[in-house]
Amino acid sequence: MKSVLALATITFKEGIRNRSLFGIALLSLFLFGLNISVAGFFMRDIGKVTVDMNLSALTLAGLLLVFFVGINLIAKDIDRKTIHLVLSKPISRAQYICGKYLGIQFFVTISLLLLLLLSCLTVGLLFKLYPAYFIGFSWLIFFEACLFVLIKFWVLTAVVVFFSSVTTSSLITLIFSLGSYIAGVTIEEVVFYLKTELAAQEKIISESLRTFIDVVSYVLPNFSVFDFTLEAAHGLVVTSDRLLLSLGYAIVYIVIMLSAAAYIFSRREFH
Amino acid sequence: MRRLLTFLIFLVAIGVYFPLCQGMWKSREQSRANTPTGYMIPSKFSRILALGNQGLLSDFLFLKIATHVGTKVGMEQPFGEGDWRFVASGLNVVTDLDPYFVDPYFLAEGLLAWDAGQPELANQLLAKGTNYRRNDWRLPFFIGFNNFYFLKDYETASGFIMAASQLPGSPDYLKTLGARLAYYGGKSKTALLFLQEMLAETDDPLLRQRLAKRLRALELAVMIEEAIGKFRARENRPPKSMDELLSSGYLHALPLDPYGGDWIMSKDGRVFSSSRFADAPPSK
Repeated sequence: MKSVLALATITFKEGIRNRSLFGIALLSLFLFGLNISVAGFFMRDIGKVTVDMNLSALTLAGLLLVFFVGINLIAKDIDRKTIHLVLSKPISRAQYICGKYLGIQFFVTISLLLLLLLSCLTVGLLFKLYPAYFIGFSWLIFFEACLFVLIKFWVLTAVVVFFSSVTTSSLITLIFSLGSYIAGVTIEEVVFYLKTELAAQEKIISESLRTFIDVVSYVLPNFSVFDFTLEAAHGLVVTSDRLLLSLGYAIVYIVIMLSAAAYIFSRREFH
Repeated sequence: MRRLLTFLIFLVAIGVYFPLCQGMWKSREQSRANTPTGYMIPSKFSRILALGNQGLLSDFLFLKIATHVGTKVGMEQPFGEGDWRFVASGLNVVTDLDPYFVDPYFLAEGLLAWDAGQPELANQLLAKGTNYRRNDWRLPFFIGFNNFYFLKDYETASGFIMAASQLPGSPDYLKTLGARLAYYGGKSKTALLFLQEMLAETDDPLLRQRLAKRLRALELAVMIEEAIGKFRARENRPPKSMDELLSSGYLHALPLDPYGGDWIMSKDGRVFSSSRFADAPPSK
């Protein structure tokens, strides 16, 4: 456990030192600023627009963090062959995978929490400016939504770690993870579309395609589970069992991804 | 020397860039004005294309529709059938992406019911909203208003107004308004109450201006109707014409219709205007 934590700390420090972090922070700042200037364009639902923009800005920042910093944190060891040095220490490959995952997770969490602080300032400022248009707004639901944005990236990080253990190049990891993310955020719409009567009339959609989508819906993470933007935007109460189910889904998915990654990684040969 | 050359090239490029940029924006403005209204991707696709940012996409599309309408109004261009189709399908997509978003329902009421002359379309959108914003009294109020004012279906209107009056935050007079509607149908005074509430609920300056004008016209119609009522009470018969009403002293002078029409009196004592309280017939 000690070695896992040590590796996590090193990975976290490496991530924090990355200069692209400033770029991501600047981009988020720009988006929050944009939010303040755009809010006035709307007639009434300024609270909704603010929440939408803030959560989307956090999501975009999180994606950039995972894809541009997170992937490098794993791939660097293999690309620069420093992995031999690390694995020569008394540390198993499974521990290595866990350590790397925790390090990136910690790095993404801290970075997003800092951005959340800025986001809260934006929301607070607009709340002060347009109190009449924030009627349904609730900080609690907003924070719940933000927490699940974070959890979404914990899952995505696990996906990234899994693909890093399979592939030999960071570019392939990026392509696979990005593909999984895009499919993961859209899969729910596709699954529910296929269940509608409209889709039943479409002759193009064959039985085999339905089975394929069915299988994919179990293999890929359904990222819509972690999306509480609508609830946060309109102050709709989220039931605790929905929150627990989403959390449970995330934890189990992360465990599956990491154990699969650890298994594949332990059988891999480095030249 | 090489540095100087690079600098010169840079200066020339900058010198060319600015007029080019101005030309580009001008050409874009022209081509946007000339191209038929944009195509709105149906929500079953845009939900997927939003990549989890359905809320943000709904905000963006709403702004796009508002900008489209604003540009047309600003350039004083007439609205064609394509424009209304764009607005209606766009607002439909926006409310599919986020059915709780209140702004599109207000825009639908302001544009589709008032300007496009398609209150049925506005009612369809508003009805979708009532399935989600169940505690918002304004949406059934708008449906009731459209049924009353545009579709002249007083019974349906009364039902929606009664439903709106049951919801939290609704003004107290809605209950009596619903009942009034059921009894009196389309009296001008009922319309006056309705319009006053619409005006209080509207932020959009353009719609406010229109509502205020119509309110003024209705106030005048109510004033004449009241004079007719007094005449009836005293003389036990309705006045034969507007002139008789004037000469008998119940009304000092016939007010000017803000829409430029002539006042017409119906047999049951209701007052209309030949302008029908409209600047121009709505373009469909």
